[in-house]
Amino acid sequence: METIAAFANGFMDLFRAGSETFIAWVTGIIPLVVIMMTAVNSLIKLIGEDRVNNVAEFATKYTVTRYTILPVLAVIFLCNPMCYTFGRFVEEKHKPAFYDAAVSFVHPVTGLFPHANGGELFVYMGIAAGITQLGLSLGDLAVRYFIVGVIVILIRGIVTDRIYAHMSSKK
Amino acid sequence: MAYKAVTIKAGKGGFGGPLTLVPTDTRNKVVSITGGGIHPIAAKIAEMTGCPAVDGFSTGVPDNEIMVAIVDCGGTARCGVYPKKRIFTVNVLPVGQTGPLARFITEDIYVSAVDESCISYADASAAAPKPSAGTPTNPATAPKTKAQAKEEIAKMNEGKEKNLATRIGIAIGGIVNKFYAAGRETIDITVKTILPFMAFVSMILGIISASGAGDVIANTISPIASTLPGMLIVSFICAIPFISPVLGPGAVIAQVVGTLLGVQIGLGNIPPQYALPALFAIDAQVGCDFIPVGMSLGEAEPETIELGVPAILYSRVITGPIAVLIAYVFSIGLYS
Repeated sequence: METIAAFANGFMDLFRAGSETFIAWVTGIIPLVVIMMTAVNSLIKLIGEDRVNNVAEFATKYTVTRYTILPVLAVIFLCNPMCYTFGRFVEEKHKPAFYDAAVSFVHPVTGLFPHANGGELFVYMGIAAGITQLGLSLGDLAVRYFIVGVIVILIRGIVTDRIYAHMSSKK
Repeated sequence: MAYKAVTIKAGKGGFGGPLTLVPTDTRNKVVSITGGGIHPIAAKIAEMTGCPAVDGFSTGVPDNEIMVAIVDCGGTARCGVYPKKRIFTVNVLPVGQTGPLARFITEDIYVSAVDESCISYADASAAAPKPSAGTPTNPATAPKTKAQAKEEIAKMNEGKEKNLATRIGIAIGGIVNKFYAAGRETIDITVKTILPFMAFVSMILGIISASGAGDVIANTISPIASTLPGMLIVSFICAIPFISPVLGPGAVIAQVVGTLLGVQIGLGNIPPQYALPALFAIDAQVGCDFIPVGMSLGEAEPETIELGVPAILYSRVITGPIAVLIAYVFSIGLYS
C-alpha cells in the first residue's frame, strides 16, 4: 500500500515541477507582454499602413537601408508572417536577400517588441528567463540582441544577394 | 482531361472541412510545402485527382494554378498564409485556428490532421456546381444581393448631412475601436499561441527536472554552450542546408532549446554573457522551412523562388557562424 502511495506521490511530483514553471510564466511574463503588445498594436493601427509604405518605398533604394530599415520596419509594423509582403517593394533580384534579412529579424525583435512575433517568444524569453533568475536586468540583453540582429540581417542580406546573383548568372 | 474531384475530411483531432477539390485546366497543381519532397498525402491526392504533384519547396507555382496546398505547419505561419489567399489548404498536423492569421483559417478553406483515410472521391452531384474559388453558393446570385444591399444602405444615408459634433464623435469612436481591436488581437494570440506553448514547454521542463534528466542535459549542453567554438559548431550544424529546413517549423526546436539553455544559465552552469551568442547559435536555421512561402508573400516570381531557396540555404552556412562571432564580440562587457 505504501509503495503505491509513494509511486503516486512521485508521479504527481513529476507534474508539480511543471505547474510551478507554468505559474511563474503566466504571472511573470504574460501581463507585461499583453500590455506591451496592446500598446504597440494600437500605435501601429493609428499610424496606418500607408505612411509605413512610403518609408518602405524610399528604403528599398539603397543596399544598406534595404537590409536594415526595410526589414526592421516590416517586422515591427506587419509582424511575422505578414512582414514578408514588404518584398513587393523590392526589385525581383533582391527578393531572396530581403526575405533572408526579414526572417532573420523575427526573433531579435522580440526582446524589445514582443508583439511582432507573439508565437515564437521563447527563443528569447527562454534564455532571458535564466538571466532573470540570476537577478540581472534584461534591458541590456534586449538592446544588444536588437542591435546585433540589425547587423546580422545586413550581412545576411548582402551575402545572400551575392550568392543569388552568382547562381542566376550561371544559369 | 480525366481529372477527378475528391473530398477531404478532417482526421482525428483535426479541424475544418470537408473540402471538395475540383481540378480545372488551369487550377490543377497539388503543391506540397512540407520542407522538401512530396508528402505522401500530396502524392495520394495527386494520384486520385489525376493532377500533377509539385514540390513547392524547390519549385515555385503561381497562386492561380494551385488547386490545393499541402502543409505540415505546427501553427504559426504556413497554415494561415494559404487560407488568407483563399487557396484550399490541407494540413497533415492536427492544427486548428491558431497563429497570427487564425481568422483566415475557416472550415470552408482549411482541413487538418489529414491522413490517407480522409480522402475519398467526391460524388458527381456534389462536385458539379462547385467553382474552384471554393464558394458553394451560386456565384451569379451572390454578388447581386450584395449590390442590392449596398444600394439600400446608400439610400438610407442619403440626405443625412454630418455635423461637426457627429464627426468628432465618429473620429473618437474610430480611435477607441482601434485600441479595442489591438487588445483583442493581443488576447487572441496570447490564448491561442503563447499559453499553449507555455503549457507544453513547462510540462517538458517539469518532467526533465523532476526525473533527473536535467543533470544529463546540464553535463552535455552546458560545456558546449559556454565556449565560443562550441557555439560556432552548433550554429554550423543548424545551418547545414538539408538540416535547416527540418529544424525550422514554428521555431519550436529553437524555443525548446532556448528554454533549456535559460534553465542552465539560471542555475549558473552557463555564464550569463553567453546568452547573447547563444541566441544566434540556436537560431541559424530561422525561417529556412518557410522560404518559398515567404518569398511568394513578397510577390517573387516562381523562377526567383526556385533559385532563392538554395541561395538562402547556402548563405546561412556562412552567415550563421558569423552571427555568433558578432554576438560574441557584442557580449563583451555584458553582465560583468
